[in-house]
Amino acid sequence: MASSPDPRYSRVLLAVCVVAVFAVSGTSDLRVLGVAAAAAALAFRRGIARTTRRVLRSAVPVTSVLCVASWGWLWLVTARPPATEPFLAVGLRTVVIAFVTFAVLERVDLFRALAPWPTLTRLLVVTLAQIHALRLLATESLLGLRSRMPRKPGAVDVVRGAGGVSGALFTLCARNARDVSDAMRSRGF
Amino acid sequence: MHVPDGFLSPAITLPAYAISAPLWAWAAKKHFGHAATEALPVIGSLTALSFAIQTIMIPVPGGTSTHLVGVTLLALLFHPLVAFVCESLTLLVQALFFGAGGITVLGVNALAMGLLGPLAGWLVHRALRGFSERWATLLAGYAAMQVSTLAVALTLGLQHRLAPGYFPMPIEVTFTGMMVPTLTIAGPVEALYTVFALSLLRKAQFRGIVA
Repeated sequence: MASSPDPRYSRVLLAVCVVAVFAVSGTSDLRVLGVAAAAAALAFRRGIARTTRRVLRSAVPVTSVLCVASWGWLWLVTARPPATEPFLAVGLRTVVIAFVTFAVLERVDLFRALAPWPTLTRLLVVTLAQIHALRLLATESLLGLRSRMPRKPGAVDVVRGAGGVSGALFTLCARNARDVSDAMRSRGF
Repeated sequence: MHVPDGFLSPAITLPAYAISAPLWAWAAKKHFGHAATEALPVIGSLTALSFAIQTIMIPVPGGTSTHLVGVTLLALLFHPLVAFVCESLTLLVQALFFGAGGITVLGVNALAMGLLGPLAGWLVHRALRGFSERWATLLAGYAAMQVSTLAVALTLGLQHRLAPGYFPMPIEVTFTGMMVPTLTIAGPVEALYTVFALSLLRKAQFRGIVA
């Protein structure tokens, strides 16, 4: 998220993004979607490689598997190959929407834009902080597991260790919750 | 069981937002005001936990994926509306930062996974807790999962009915593809998770917030 000095700019860009993604989500014509994809690429050409990589890593794998699995499943059920265009349109819609969302998020300061809604901001901050804590715990747990084993831990080892990790996870959550609660009270919330 | 962006048209997503928006406002006013300072971090923790367990998604045929949800716990500990707000927040974070679900389908996903499922779980728990607390929790987790999945499957089926060229999967196909893994795997695992987590949380005693 590149920070912008003007939160109004962020809010306007977010509003335009919402309108654009809803407009794209209402389109099923492949040509129109192609034009939308080209327009999005042109409008957000700065940092296009980074945004594309992000889309390829996050939205594309799940959507591709979903579309291929659905297409195959439909073929199996109806005993004839279904048309590919609707599935291509579904995939392209998802990719364009994800691209626009990520590109806009890189250009706005989300927290400044959400400042007029303090409850939402508070919830978002607390949740993101806890997600960060959980990611740290997951990394530490994996490193701990590795350090205690002579070989690389497999799926069975991870499942075996899941009970202990879950216990630590809840304890850490409780501790974090107390810390955040104290911090919020001390700041007058 | 997130429906990804692009799988539902505005004919469904906009009415879902129209239903969700007043519920979000009402829930935020009722449960997340200044009086909630004590509970907010705990809610944030459980939201983060729910986020963590939802990141393991298995795509299934029919237009979505299967995974645990984890917000039934919030409905049982606090209120179904708290679960609704927290699940919406999880979905928002997933959509904005991880490309899962999406902005246009946020209302639909939130209503299915955050409201209908946890509400069903909460009702089952209230109805059965007099007999056995543990069994009531187990069945609440299972029911919540089934209701959420059913809601998503029906919504995708409705999308196909409205515009078959937009979403090509008929309801029979979507329904089978989604309900079979949920009934057999995800539902029981969610039920066990709910019992396990609730028992751990009660042992940890979140500063008296968790009874």
